[in-house]
Amino acid sequence: MKAKKEAMAGSLESSDVLVTIRPREGEGVECTIESIVLKQYGRRIRSVTEEVAAAAGLSGAAVRVQDRGALECTLRARLETAIERSTAGT
Amino acid sequence: MSAAYGDRDVREIRDDPDRDEYRTLLTSRGLSVPEGSDLVLGLYEGERLAAAGSLVGNVIQGLATARETEGEGSAAVLVTALLKAAADRGLGRVAVFTKPPEAAVFEGLGFRRLAVAERPATGLGAALLEWGSPGIEDWKADLARRAEGRPRPSGVVVVNCNPFTRGHQALLEWAASESSWVHVLVVEEDRSLFPFPVRLDLVRKGTTHIRNLDVHPGGPYVISSATFPTYFTRPRPGSPDDAAAELHAALDLEVFRTHVAPVLGAVERFVGTEPYCPTTSTYNRLMREILPAPRPDSPALEIRELPRVERDGAAVSASRVRDLIRAGRFEEIRTLVPETTWDWLRSPGAAPVLERIRASDTRH
Repeated sequence: MKAKKEAMAGSLESSDVLVTIRPREGEGVECTIESIVLKQYGRRIRSVTEEVAAAAGLSGAAVRVQDRGALECTLRARLETAIERSTAGT
Repeated sequence: MSAAYGDRDVREIRDDPDRDEYRTLLTSRGLSVPEGSDLVLGLYEGERLAAAGSLVGNVIQGLATARETEGEGSAAVLVTALLKAAADRGLGRVAVFTKPPEAAVFEGLGFRRLAVAERPATGLGAALLEWGSPGIEDWKADLARRAEGRPRPSGVVVVNCNPFTRGHQALLEWAASESSWVHVLVVEEDRSLFPFPVRLDLVRKGTTHIRNLDVHPGGPYVISSATFPTYFTRPRPGSPDDAAAELHAALDLEVFRTHVAPVLGAVERFVGTEPYCPTTSTYNRLMREILPAPRPDSPALEIRELPRVERDGAAVSASRVRDLIRAGRFEEIRTLVPETTWDWLRSPGAAPVLERIRASDTRH
């Protein structure tokens, strides 16, 4: 599913994560990860992000994850919501 | 719009008495209500206003949290809501203009710091940050591509050209004779009487005879509502906004010095003396102060100032051209502008612009 429009889910509050998805040229998905715990969990956050994007069949998207110390279930939920919003028919 | 966050609730502030409450909150933090807000959001805890902020175009302004709720993450809630509102409006990039001590709060929320300016004389300071994309790094990469292969070191001229006159032309010719390459950045923000595409086109047409010169759109980082909001409102000298104008001018020059000039390999900035407009004259004074100072973060620039070209005892300026249009003394414009601008002014495409100028009394 191609990203059709810019969409966000989550927040910048402590223990949450803000996911922003915007359409991008081509088929690829480009992920940018920022986190207050990047050293400890950066790789895990990236692999979860890529996994959720792949499971949803996301394409042509730039995904920005701004993590404020969210639990993995929160991250997954935010990613799914943002992908749904970004790929939904206008 | 309304979004619940536990017992907290973000909603739009539209009318009194909510507006009054917002004003009181800002005053208590030494801020004033921003002009021309597109949206004001408040974070309420029960009926109490815990934090509020405005979106003016794509700039977050007038953001404050109540002292009692500081440190409880209310700024994060409110900033998130403002970013989402901006995204709903199709704005992928949001800037924030704040006091230097607050910059760290925004950096913690994922904003990038672009520049900080402090004016010891007035005690004012400002920091400019941005969030989202395309951001300044994208813009710099694009500018670097445009300047690829051009000789360095180069000279830069920033112009508005509202419209392009013989004064501008003389300045650019002089810059080109003094520098191995000249990059002309045309202010892109579309708030002048002559629309940006016309201003850019007239600069290009009026400089085709200059071989060592490129004309670029100024983009959002060269005299824009994010770097220099008061440039477009032109406050009266001595008014409180005049001190703000000085601060904004300093901020714009900081962005220029640390981000724009290095990309172009610029070591000189060329400017015409400003006899009429106090805002531009302040800008030129700060330019002489900020750009040549040796500093570790960025190379210094030399300021080269050309006295305004005169015709019949008065300086050739774009504002004089606009005055003559307003006064209906069209023929007198001919000696003030290059042939290319003159031709455009007499073309059918110019009619609506001329009509707008006649109907306006703005300085700009």
